[in-house]
Amino acid sequence: MFEKLVDIIVNYVEVEKEDIKPESRFMEDLGFTSFDFMSMLGEIEDELDVEIEQEKAADIRTVGEAAAYLETL
Amino acid sequence: MNVESSTIREIIVKSEAAYGSQDAFRFKVKRADESGKRAVQIENKTYTQLKNDTECFSAALEALGQTKGHTAVLGTTSYEWVVAYLGIVNSGSVAVPLDAQLPSEDLCELLNRAEVTTLVFDESKAAVAQDALQACPGLKYEIAMSEESAVSEALSLWKLIGEQQPGYAYEPQPEELATIMFTSGTTGKSKGVMLSHRNLAENATCLDMKIEPGTVIMSVLPIHHAYCLSMDILKGLSLGSVICINDSLMRVAKNIKLFEPTMILMVPLMIETLAKKLEEAAWMPAGLVKAKVFGKQFHTICSGGAYLNPAYYDTFARYGITILQGYGMTECAPVISTNLSWDNRKGSVGKLMPNCEAKTVDEELWVTGSSVMQGYYHMPEETAATLEDGWLKTGDLGYVDEDGYVYLTGRKKNLIITPNGENISPEEIENKIGEARLVQEILVRDSEGVIEAEIFPDYEYATKKKIKDVPAKLQEIIDEYNQGAPLYKRVFKLKVRDVEFEKNTTKKIKRF
Repeated sequence: MFEKLVDIIVNYVEVEKEDIKPESRFMEDLGFTSFDFMSMLGEIEDELDVEIEQEKAADIRTVGEAAAYLETL
Repeated sequence: MNVESSTIREIIVKSEAAYGSQDAFRFKVKRADESGKRAVQIENKTYTQLKNDTECFSAALEALGQTKGHTAVLGTTSYEWVVAYLGIVNSGSVAVPLDAQLPSEDLCELLNRAEVTTLVFDESKAAVAQDALQACPGLKYEIAMSEESAVSEALSLWKLIGEQQPGYAYEPQPEELATIMFTSGTTGKSKGVMLSHRNLAENATCLDMKIEPGTVIMSVLPIHHAYCLSMDILKGLSLGSVICINDSLMRVAKNIKLFEPTMILMVPLMIETLAKKLEEAAWMPAGLVKAKVFGKQFHTICSGGAYLNPAYYDTFARYGITILQGYGMTECAPVISTNLSWDNRKGSVGKLMPNCEAKTVDEELWVTGSSVMQGYYHMPEETAATLEDGWLKTGDLGYVDEDGYVYLTGRKKNLIITPNGENISPEEIENKIGEARLVQEILVRDSEGVIEAEIFPDYEYATKKKIKDVPAKLQEIIDEYNQGAPLYKRVFKLKVRDVEFEKNTTKKIKRF
C-alpha cells in the first residue's frame, strides 16, 4: 500500500520517491495544501475503488498513517 | 429570470409555481443495482417535491409545538439539510445553522447560547447529538436526517415528514427573524448574527445576474456559511437553477465530471489550488485541459469569503473561465458588492448591490440597506459597536469610486499604527508581496516597532524552478517591494515558515 501511495503522491507534489518515508507529514514535509490533500484522497478512492470517510481523513497526518488507514478499507 | 422576494417562503412559492417539475437538486446516493452491487446513482428532487417536503416539515414542527422556538441544523450539505432549514424558517421558527467541523464541546456551547430547543442532525454528527442530550438542558427534541440513527432518543425527519400533508401555509413577515448565524471570526468569541427573512431573501434576489432558469450549479462550500446558503441555495432556487450537491471536498473533480455544472461558488484557497494545477498543464492545449478538468460547459467561478488576488483572473481566462469576485459579510446577509460577467473590473470587488448604500467614515466602509442584520444575539454591546443608525460598520478599509465600484484596502482591526502615527494596512503589503509566485501565504504584522512579514513559501514551485536558497529569494522579493514603498511601509524582518498557517474552518488565516 505504501508504494502505491507514493506513486500517487508524486503526481501532486515535487518530491522524489525515495524521499517519501512513512513518517513524512503531508503538509509539513511534503508541501501539500489542505485542498491538494483532499483532492488526492479523491483520486485514491478511484484508483483503489474504496470509500474514504471524511472524518477519518481529517486525522491523517503522515504517509504511514494514510497507508495504514487504507489497508483497513 | 430574476424575481424579487422579501421572504424565504415567497422564494419557495414563486419558484415552485414557475419551475414545478424541473429539478431543484441533484445529489449522489449509493444504492444496490440489479446485480446487488452498491453503486453511485444520481437522485433528483423537483421544485414541487422541495416545496412539499419543506411544508410537511414545517407542519411537523408545529405538531411538536416548536414553531416559536429555535431549531439548529447540523451537518454537511444535503437535501435533508435544505428541507430542514426551509421548513424551519417557513414555519416561523428560527433556524440556527451550525459548523459541522467544530468540536462537540463548542457546538453544545453554541446550542445553549442560541437557546436551541430542537436539533436536526446528520448521522455523521450523531456523537454530538448524543453529547447534547446531557450538555444542553434546553433541548426538547432531536431529529435525525437519516432513516435510522445511533441516537435512540432521536425522531426521524423522514418519518415526521411522512406523517404530514403538504399545504402548510404560514406566511412569515419580512421583518421576522429567520436565522441566527454564528460568525467564525478570526479573532475573539463567535457572534450570533440575527438575519430576518427580508435580509436574506432580498440579498438573494435583488440583483439580476442574468442567469437563465435550468442553469446547472454545483455547491461546494460549507452550507452553514451565509455565502453558500444565500448565493448557492436561496439565489439558486429563486432563479430556477439545478443545484448539484458536492458530497466532499475530496471529490470536487469527480463531481464536476458527474454533474457537469456551468458555475461554482468558491473561496480563494480553492481557486489558488486549481490555478496551480492549470499552470502545471500550461504546455497542453487550453481546450483539452479545460475539457478534462472542468468540462466544456463550465464558464464561471464566483469568488467570495476572502480577497482573491486578481492576477488569477488571467490564469483562468485562458481556459474561457470568468472569475467574478464579490465582497460581503455575514452581517449583511452576506453580499455587499459583486462583479458581473458583463461588468467585471479588475482590482475592485464589484458594484454595490441594488439594496445597499455605502459611505466611508475615517477610511472605514459603512453600509446600509435591507440586508443589514438586526444585531448580534444577546450581545448588546457588540451590536452597538457595529451598528449606528442603521449603518453597518464593516471593519474594512475601503471606498466606492465615482462609477460605483467598491475597492478594499484592508481590515481596520489589523491596522498597524507606527510610532510616528502612520496607519498601515497589513493586507495592502500582503497583497503586493503575495503577487510573487514563490509566496504561497503571507502575514504582515508589527514586531517590536518594525514591520515583519511571515511567509509560507510555495516549496513545490521552488523545487520546480530549482531555487536552492528559498529565504534568500524571499528576501530579494521583499527588497524589490521595499524599493517602491514609502519608508514607513517597508518590511524589515522576514520569517520563513515550514508549514502553512493555521486556518479557521472557513480557511482564513488566523491572525493572532
